[in-house]
Amino acid sequence: MIEIKDVHKKFGEKKVLKGVNATIERGEVFTIIGPSGQGKSTLLRLINLLDKPTSGSIIFEGVDIHRSRDQQAIRRKMAMVFQKPVVFNTSVYENIAYGLHFRHADKTIVQEQVEHALEVIDMVGFAERKAKSLSGGEMQRVALARAMVTEPELLLLDEPTANLDPLATHKIEELVRHYNRESHTTVIMSTHDMQQGQRLASRIGVMMQGMFAQVGTPRDVFASPSDREVANFVGVKNILIGTITDNEKGVATLTVDGITIEAVTPLPIGTPVWASILPEDITLLLSHGKFTSARNVFTGRIVHFAPRGPLLNVTVDCGVKLSATVTWRSAEEMKIKLGDEVRLSFKASAIHIMADAEPGA
Amino acid sequence: MNFKKLLLVLSVMVVVVAGISFSGCTTPAPPAATPTPTPAPAQEDLLIATTTSLYDTGLLDHLGEIFGPEYNANLRVTSKGTGQAIELGRGGDVDVLMVHDRVREDAFLADGSGVDRRVFAYNYFIVVGPPSDPAGIKDMSPTDAFTTLYEKGQTDPSVVFVSRGDDSGTHAREKLIWKQAGYDYEQVRASGAWYIEAGTGMGTTLNLADEKDAYTLSDIGTFLAYKTDLDLVPLVTQGDDLLNVYSAMIINPAKYPDTKVALSKEWINWLISPEVQQEIGNFGVAEYGQPLFYPARDNWELLGVSQTETQDPIP
Amino acid sequence: MAGFFEGLSPILEGIQEAINLLIALDPQIFRITALSLIITLSAVLIGSVIAIPLGSVIAYGKFRGRNAVIWIIQTLYAFPTVVIGLIVFLFLRNNGPLGALDLLFTPQGMIIGQTVLVLPIITGLTISALAAVDLTIRDTITSLGATRFQFLISALKEARFAILAAIALAFGRAISEVGAAIIIGGNIASPGNFWTSTRTLTTAITLETGKGDIALSIALGIILLLIALVVNVIISIVQNR
Repeated sequence: MIEIKDVHKKFGEKKVLKGVNATIERGEVFTIIGPSGQGKSTLLRLINLLDKPTSGSIIFEGVDIHRSRDQQAIRRKMAMVFQKPVVFNTSVYENIAYGLHFRHADKTIVQEQVEHALEVIDMVGFAERKAKSLSGGEMQRVALARAMVTEPELLLLDEPTANLDPLATHKIEELVRHYNRESHTTVIMSTHDMQQGQRLASRIGVMMQGMFAQVGTPRDVFASPSDREVANFVGVKNILIGTITDNEKGVATLTVDGITIEAVTPLPIGTPVWASILPEDITLLLSHGKFTSARNVFTGRIVHFAPRGPLLNVTVDCGVKLSATVTWRSAEEMKIKLGDEVRLSFKASAIHIMADAEPGA
Repeated sequence: MNFKKLLLVLSVMVVVVAGISFSGCTTPAPPAATPTPTPAPAQEDLLIATTTSLYDTGLLDHLGEIFGPEYNANLRVTSKGTGQAIELGRGGDVDVLMVHDRVREDAFLADGSGVDRRVFAYNYFIVVGPPSDPAGIKDMSPTDAFTTLYEKGQTDPSVVFVSRGDDSGTHAREKLIWKQAGYDYEQVRASGAWYIEAGTGMGTTLNLADEKDAYTLSDIGTFLAYKTDLDLVPLVTQGDDLLNVYSAMIINPAKYPDTKVALSKEWINWLISPEVQQEIGNFGVAEYGQPLFYPARDNWELLGVSQTETQDPIP
Repeated sequence: MAGFFEGLSPILEGIQEAINLLIALDPQIFRITALSLIITLSAVLIGSVIAIPLGSVIAYGKFRGRNAVIWIIQTLYAFPTVVIGLIVFLFLRNNGPLGALDLLFTPQGMIIGQTVLVLPIITGLTISALAAVDLTIRDTITSLGATRFQFLISALKEARFAILAAIALAFGRAISEVGAAIIIGGNIASPGNFWTSTRTLTTAITLETGKGDIALSIALGIILLLIALVVNVIISIVQNR
């Protein structure tokens, strides 16, 4: 539905977008994640025709939108919700109806649409309230309703929950899912909240340094980050850098920081690689506990505990520092504490290996 | 929103009112008791430029109240300094010019800006000053008084003179007296701190002179109006040099065809008619105990003007 | 010379007489006040009709010299009213370019003068008000599919309170100026025809003070103060929304 072709954007001397490429399918939820200030908002604004690319093109339903003569009509097929919750200085009803008035919609239709929208966002009874008196979360829901009431084919959201508390954030995410499902609206959403990106997206684009470092499903990105920077950003832990020392029919031995790991990869001997293992894929065992058949078992001391909501991240120094995730209950049952000696084990197939593009970096 | 509605109503009111105003509707004459087939003739406006000292006496407003209903006219009077009034006349921005400066009036007639001058009133300028009269000019002739003020002003710090300094008729007269006394006006202006130029109207000049216990030349009308607030007293009240002659002229229709000649003639002829002359002579007596103006009719010899100017109606 | 307290008593007497005049609804005061309000309200209305669209175009326009234009408008805020009066007078008088319109010494001429006075103020403050509309709101308006015209109307709606305050400010300035009013209007009483009189609150105060009628001057001054008060109240209410 949308093709972004080699889009560059400069503001004066500053290059913000340096060749963005992506294709977004109709009906999908595409989230753009990346560090702040690296071009996410800019890209969305370019798509919404709020600004023009310095070079490159954006094709929407076969039309190069920035070279089209009827940009107005194209814009009316999209809608955008911004990071800052903004409402017009009038009632909630009039806010939601705003875009419909631009389209000279019939009064009865407007009423129907707005009342329906109020139901969807769970704000029935708010119609006559002054929109400026709402909380941030309520304003964003109104903004979302305002956008969706114009029945856009494409919904753009620029970090919509960045300024909201978790409850309000949850409501917005629910609504986005609802609209995507019910109205089959294509959604492009930017966020710096990794988990949110994972929760909502059918596909994720990781924007770093003004271009997409990786585009893929959430699993692709988080389990198989395409390079170290992406991996770093998405919070992949347990990154190891080393060299392949042996490889027999796809089962390789990799020497990393003095320890030897067995992994599954076709890469030949001598390749400098980096590897990562999801903490969820590492099992924590007591020193003298159960026997395991995993190929990789290491012994080490617990050096750090980090709570992660309902889970606990345990960092163990076994020559390299590796993090494993356990539930609080398991931790209590094992009675582990700082300084204890424990074993970590993981399967060879759980290791994600990529050739290191910049060895020694 | 209530505020918006209020604003809307206000705007509509203003537009309606401004619209009426712009279409130049005049207020209707009092409705006729019986419906007449022909509409009553529209009231006509007469635009007069005059000087502040004449207008501020209230004479013109008073006369206008009588003339207006009688002649179905509306007198619109704008008062400025004599110089500005004459400029308006010269530019054809008014119909009638009423001032009190023979010299400049003569020039005005000579260059074809005005026609049909008639003299309708006169009074005297007066030299007023502090009751203590440090210069001792009481009852002197005007030229002697001025000479004394000039000489004593240089040496005696309690002798101060305030001039209008503003191109008005009064100021013109002051300059004339200096000339009659043999002085060059520029010389007088530069002669010392005793001579102050106010650059303002008669009332303010009187107040200024009062503040400084100074002498000044004033028209009788303004002085009488301010008398109760001032300590100043009249010191020199007689003398041909103080004669103040008021005339009215029509702006030359040959130069400015839009001038309302017919109504102007009616007004001026009315002014010099015997009944109105008497009215002029009575003006202010009740309030001030003395007349502010003397009728010009029958006094043409005293005033040094032609009989025609004081008596013969404009044809 | 009167001492301070002796000097106060004529003032107090004047104030007392003035209040009597006001309570008695003196017709002359009524005429003068009505004329002032009509002239200034008309000027502000006409001025707004011109200035607000003009300000909109400048505020969101991108053209060379935009900054210079805004700078000039803001300089004109402080343009001396008496000079405006002089310029308009030169244009409207019989010998001037617009002499044929016969507008000198008429209330319509005064409306023109006051419109010239308020134009820079309303234009400039409209531009400020529009520039102050949050960028995200402006983006939202655009992204909702507004045409250029719809965009301007929406932005004006968002800035409406600031613009109303600008109009109230302009009204206050116009009704209390005297220089242009006297030069263009001539302070004419015109007893037979209200619609051709040009005696407004400010010009009447000048005249009556010059004539020594202190009570009337004070009465008119009180009215002007009341009007200024009302204008200020309106501005405060508006700014607190």
